[in-house]
Amino acid sequence: MKHLFKRLTLAGTLGFALAATPAIAKDPIKFATPMDFTAVYTFLTNEYSEGQRDYITLINENGGIDGHPVELSVSDTGNQPQRGIEAYNRAKRDGAILVDFLSTPVARAMVNRVLEDEIVMIMALHGRGDASDGDTFPYVFPLMATYWSQAALLVDHMNESGGGLKGKKLAHVFIDSPFGREPIPVLEELSKRLDFTLKTFPYASPGNEQSSTWSEVRRYRPDFVIIWGAGGGQAVSVRDAIRNGIKPEQIHSVVWLAEADMDTVGRDVAKGVRKFQAAASGTDTPVIQAIMDKVVNAGKGAGPKENVGRTYYNIGVATMAIAVEGARLALAEYGAPLNGEKLRKGLESLKDFDAQGLIPTVSFSNEDHQGGGFGRVAHWDGEQWAPLGDWHTSFQDVVWEEIRKGAKGYRESGQ
Amino acid sequence: MFYRLSGLYHTRYASARQLWPITADRWQVGVLLVLAVAAPFLFSSFYLTSYLLPWLIFSAAALSLTLLMGIAGQLHFGFAAVMAIGAYTSIHLTRAGVPFELSLVGAGLMAALIGSVFGAAALRVKGLYLVMATLAMQYLVDWTIINVPAISGGAQATLQAPATQFLFMPLKSDAARYYVALLWALFLTLLILNIKRTSVGRALVAVRDKDYAAAVIGVNVVHFKLVAFFTSSFLGGVTGAVLAFCYYQAVTPEQFTFNVSVQLVAMVLVGGLGSVIGAYMGAGFVLLAPIMLTNFVVYLNQLGWLSVSTNLLSHIPLMIYGLLIIGFLLLEPLGLGKIYDNIRKYLLVWPFRHSGL
Repeated sequence: MKHLFKRLTLAGTLGFALAATPAIAKDPIKFATPMDFTAVYTFLTNEYSEGQRDYITLINENGGIDGHPVELSVSDTGNQPQRGIEAYNRAKRDGAILVDFLSTPVARAMVNRVLEDEIVMIMALHGRGDASDGDTFPYVFPLMATYWSQAALLVDHMNESGGGLKGKKLAHVFIDSPFGREPIPVLEELSKRLDFTLKTFPYASPGNEQSSTWSEVRRYRPDFVIIWGAGGGQAVSVRDAIRNGIKPEQIHSVVWLAEADMDTVGRDVAKGVRKFQAAASGTDTPVIQAIMDKVVNAGKGAGPKENVGRTYYNIGVATMAIAVEGARLALAEYGAPLNGEKLRKGLESLKDFDAQGLIPTVSFSNEDHQGGGFGRVAHWDGEQWAPLGDWHTSFQDVVWEEIRKGAKGYRESGQ
Repeated sequence: MFYRLSGLYHTRYASARQLWPITADRWQVGVLLVLAVAAPFLFSSFYLTSYLLPWLIFSAAALSLTLLMGIAGQLHFGFAAVMAIGAYTSIHLTRAGVPFELSLVGAGLMAALIGSVFGAAALRVKGLYLVMATLAMQYLVDWTIINVPAISGGAQATLQAPATQFLFMPLKSDAARYYVALLWALFLTLLILNIKRTSVGRALVAVRDKDYAAAVIGVNVVHFKLVAFFTSSFLGGVTGAVLAFCYYQAVTPEQFTFNVSVQLVAMVLVGGLGSVIGAYMGAGFVLLAPIMLTNFVVYLNQLGWLSVSTNLLSHIPLMIYGLLIIGFLLLEPLGLGKIYDNIRKYLLVWPFRHSGL
C-alpha cells in the first residue's frame, strides 16, 4: 500500500495544485470547468483542459489578474446532464463566476440556470449557436465562431479558391445528430445565393462505419465535400472520402479535425485536407512560448508536454485568454470582488483582442457574444496545419439571421 | 426488540393486511415522510436540487420500470425512450396551452400508447429477444425525435419547459419543483406497494414466473402482459414529464439516450427486481455514487494525497463504481433492497437467530 501510494504521488505532476504563488494575497477569482473526461468528448477534453490549466498557471505565475489569483476547478461530468447540474450547483455554491462544460447536452441544460443565477457560461465551439445573441442570452458566451459561421467561412473559401462555386456540386456529409444538421440552413441559403447544388448525406452516430454513405457521395460526384462530425468519426470520414476517389483538397472539415485524426488516416495520405481553424495551432505564438517557458519547462504543466501547441490545446488556451482578459477589464472598470455581472460586462467591453496572435482579432458587445465569427481555413501539409489565408469572417448576415431566429424561438419557448 | 412483535394483535383482516403491520416499520416510514416533506427547510438549495430532487425523480423512474421488469418479468431496455415520449408530449401540450396537470396525463397516455405498441412484441418474444425489441424502440424514438424538427424544437434541438403551475402552485421555486416530484414519487410508491398485493399483481407475478403455468391456472397472459406494458409506460411517461419540468427544465434528445436506459435497468437490478425500497436504493446508488466518488477523489487530489493526471483521476471513480456494483451483487445477488430486508429480518427476531418459520 505504502509503495503504491509512493508511486501514485511520484507518477503525476501537478493536477490541481495551481495556487503555487504564495505572494498573492487578494481574493481568488474562481472559474469552474466540469467537463466530460470519460464519455463522448474525450477526443478533445484532455488537450483542451490542459491548455486551459496551463494558461491559468501562467497567469498565476505572473501575479494573477491585477493581483487576484485565478482558481480553476476541474471535474468530470461524464457528459451526463444530471452530473453537470450537480457540478454547476457546486460551483455556484463555491462562488465560481465562470463555468465551461465543453459538452453540448450539459451546456444546453444549463442555459436557463446561468441566466437566472447571473453566472457567465463560455460555450466555445459547442452548445447553442444562437446564444451569440447577447440580448437574449446575456450570460452565455460562444466566444468563437459558431457552427454557422464555420460553414459560411468554408463555403466562402471554396468559392474564392476553387474558381467560383457557381454551378458546382457540394456534398455535406454529416453525423446524424442535431450537431450535424446545424449548418444545413446556412448551407441552403448560401447555395441559393452562390448558385451551387447542395446535397446532404447523413451517416449514423457515432460514425465508426460510414462506407455506405460515402459510396452514395461518390455517385453524386461532388466538386467539394464538407465533413461535419467530431471525434473518431472524422478520421473515418477522411479515410472513406479518399478511398472513394475524393481528393484531400476537396475535403473541408468543421473545426473538429486535429493532429490525432491525421495520424489515424496517415499523415501523408491526408496531405491537403482542409479545415476551419478557430485558433492558431503550433507553438510559434508568443503566448504558447510563454507557457512553454514559465509553465511546461518549469515542470508545472498540467499534462504531457507533447500536447502543447496541438489544435485543441490551443483552443483551450484561447478560451481562457479571452476569459482572463474579460476579467481584467472587469476588475479595472468595476473593481473587486468580481461577480458574474461584472465579468459579463468586462467580456462585452473586450475590443480588438487577439491573444498575441493566437486567435483572430475579436471584439464583443452586449449584442454580439460570438466575437464577430472570425476564423480561417488551414490545410494539413503532412506535418502540421498551415493556414491558407488570413483571419476573416464570411456571410455574417446569413449567420445572424439564423442566430436571431434561434434566439427568438428561445424567447418564445420560455413563456 | 427493534421490531417488537409482542403486543401486536390484529383483530381484523384489514389491520393484518395493512401495508406496514409492524409498529416499528410505521415509525420508520413516518420519520422518512416527515424528513421528505421538511427537506426544503432542512437542506440548502444545493443539496435539494443536486441530490434529493434527481434522486426522487429517478427513483420514480426505477419504480415505473420495476413494475414491468421486477413484477411482470418483462425486460425493457428502452425505458428512457418511454420517458422521452412523456417529456416531449408534456412540453408540447403545455406550450399549446393545456394545463400542466392535464398535460401530465397526456404525457402518460402517449407514452403508454407507444410503449404498448412495442410491448405487443412481448406477446411473441421473451427474454433476450424482448430486449432486442425494446432496444429497437429506443433507437426508433431517438431517431424520430432528432429527425422531426417539430418534435425536437428545430436546429438547436432544445425545448425549454414553459413556466407553469401545478394545482395553483407556480413551478418557479426549487421547493415547488421538489414537492411535485415528491408527490409523484409518493404516489408511485403507494401504487406499486398496493399493486403487489392485489389480484393484478399476483397475476403479473404468475406471468413472470412462467407464462404457460399462468395460462394453465386461468391467467390471461396476453391481457396481463399488455397491462404491464401499458401501466409501466404510462408511469414512465409521467415521470419523464416530471423530470423535464421539475429537474432539467429543458429537454434535449441527449437526456434520454440508450445510456440512460441502461442506467435505469441498472437501478432496478442493483436495487433488487420488484423491490420498492430497492428502487430508491438502486436509483440513489446509480445516480449519486458516481457523483460522490468523483467529488471524493477530487477532494483527495486537492489534499495532495492522490496526484495523478486528470484523465486517470476522472476514471478512478468509474473503477470504484464498477467494483462496488460487482461487490454488492456478489454479496447479495437480489440487490440492495434484499440487503435491507436481510438486516430487517435479522433484527426482527434479534437476539435469536431464526424466526422459526
